[in-house]
Amino acid sequence: MRELELYFGPQHLGMVGNFSITLKVEGDRIVKADANPGYLHRGFEKLMEQRTWMQNFPLVCRINVVEPDHMELIYSMAVEKLAGIEVPERGKYIRSIFCEMARVASHLFGLWAYANMLGFDTVAHWAMYHRDILLDMFEELTGARVYHIYVRPGGVRRDFPDGFIDRLVKTLHKIGGKVPDYNATFFENRLFQKRAEGIGVVTREEAIRMGAVGHTLKATGMKYDIRKIEPYAAYDQVDFDIPTRTGGDAYSRLLTIRDDMIESVHMIFKLIDKMPNKGEVYTKTPNPFKWKIPAGEAYVRCESSRGELGLYIVSDGGDKPYRAHFNTPSYNHGLTVLEKALEGESISDVGNIMISLYVVPPEIDR
Amino acid sequence: MNELKKKLLSSFDNVEINIPEDNRMIVITKKESVLSILSYLKKMGYNHFALESCNDWIDDNEFELIYILSAYLEKDEQYQDKGKRNIILKTRISREKAKFITIIDIFENAEPYEREIHEMFGIYFEGHPRLTPLLLERDYDIPPFRKDFDTNKYVENTFGKIPSIKERKKEKNERT
Repeated sequence: MRELELYFGPQHLGMVGNFSITLKVEGDRIVKADANPGYLHRGFEKLMEQRTWMQNFPLVCRINVVEPDHMELIYSMAVEKLAGIEVPERGKYIRSIFCEMARVASHLFGLWAYANMLGFDTVAHWAMYHRDILLDMFEELTGARVYHIYVRPGGVRRDFPDGFIDRLVKTLHKIGGKVPDYNATFFENRLFQKRAEGIGVVTREEAIRMGAVGHTLKATGMKYDIRKIEPYAAYDQVDFDIPTRTGGDAYSRLLTIRDDMIESVHMIFKLIDKMPNKGEVYTKTPNPFKWKIPAGEAYVRCESSRGELGLYIVSDGGDKPYRAHFNTPSYNHGLTVLEKALEGESISDVGNIMISLYVVPPEIDR
Repeated sequence: MNELKKKLLSSFDNVEINIPEDNRMIVITKKESVLSILSYLKKMGYNHFALESCNDWIDDNEFELIYILSAYLEKDEQYQDKGKRNIILKTRISREKAKFITIIDIFENAEPYEREIHEMFGIYFEGHPRLTPLLLERDYDIPPFRKDFDTNKYVENTFGKIPSIKERKKEKNERT
């Protein structure tokens, strides 16, 4: 049969984000896939070299549009490590709660993308609504809905407002109460199961060989999670489980995402119970205009909702970073794993596989 | 970590190892032994290739290549081995006609990282199957992530000069 070249994206219903894939197809089977990023390249890492340490926050949070909070967190962690700043106890707990809220919001957005792409419009609307009421909580806490700039070197920007915890718990209960409906209409729906089972299989060996992290790895049974391996913020204070599956296909990946979301909500309740009632939430840092950080280098990592997120940062003793390089989970998943996972699959499953790998193109381009 | 340090020092010449407080190991080596050290570390269980990065030390006229490794879990749930943190391997190459060897044979997922470094820093990787552009649209005289690439000057040459607020106010006043 004749081989054809097919351009999938950037303008395509099944494509989420600024990304395209060049497919070589034979009939409707994919012979070879060639990922083509760069539609949203803004050169943030270069621009960061020209701004002071504190001025970089508006750039950093825009690297990942879907969940900017872990980007702020990792940048703050890197600056803290270079400058030797400690975070107060209550600040650590607030950071953890904030990051878990971000994880839930990000998973709901991912669920919206997945359901919308497959045509499950009801589920997509629910997910978007639930993300929206969670964004209201973010707005109350930080003043912004999407790009919060709440985590800062030394802690967080401000304490919880009065009555915030009660409203947060109420919101989370509202979202949690809808889980049976989500299950019935989406996760356990035969229509969805047929579409997602056995598709885009990544085995344990392949995942390790290609450097996969996050849900791609968790769906093969490995509990690889930076929150457990190298705890940061207050994650060493609470007990939590890491959901896994063993199938390695798109369906297993989505189920780990759902379980991860539920686990995050439980973790927020545990963190609220354990949190100290009073105390500082941030350590004072020097004047941001004159702040010079001693020369050195640091590699820090945290677990974003997509997997291991790393930042390699170098300071030459000046008031700006000398070099910053973000190691984002989508980089591996979108460029190495996706190309391998698409081989031999059908054209109609391209978007399905891409979203199940949880690829966010802005993270690749940076 | 200290055991690994001893082993590395005994099996390789010209390596310099220091372990900062956070238990991450920094290994500095000559460019000839990068491949053998990487495959040695992979055999020792550091099988997760996390990041390949590059840094332009323009004052020394050298590029620094950085490889960051960590370890996957051996069993499904085993967090006891807290000593296995990241290893940062660094080497320096000359800035003139920068050239290095690809490490795809050892770590498959280094491919896009090397493509990006080739594009952003202009380092040629021997043996790399596709060093095609990854993120950028245009061609640049100087690869854009080098320190001698001036973003402001580039913007001025390509898109014209954008007047500052003071200049614009002055212009406005002159008109009125």
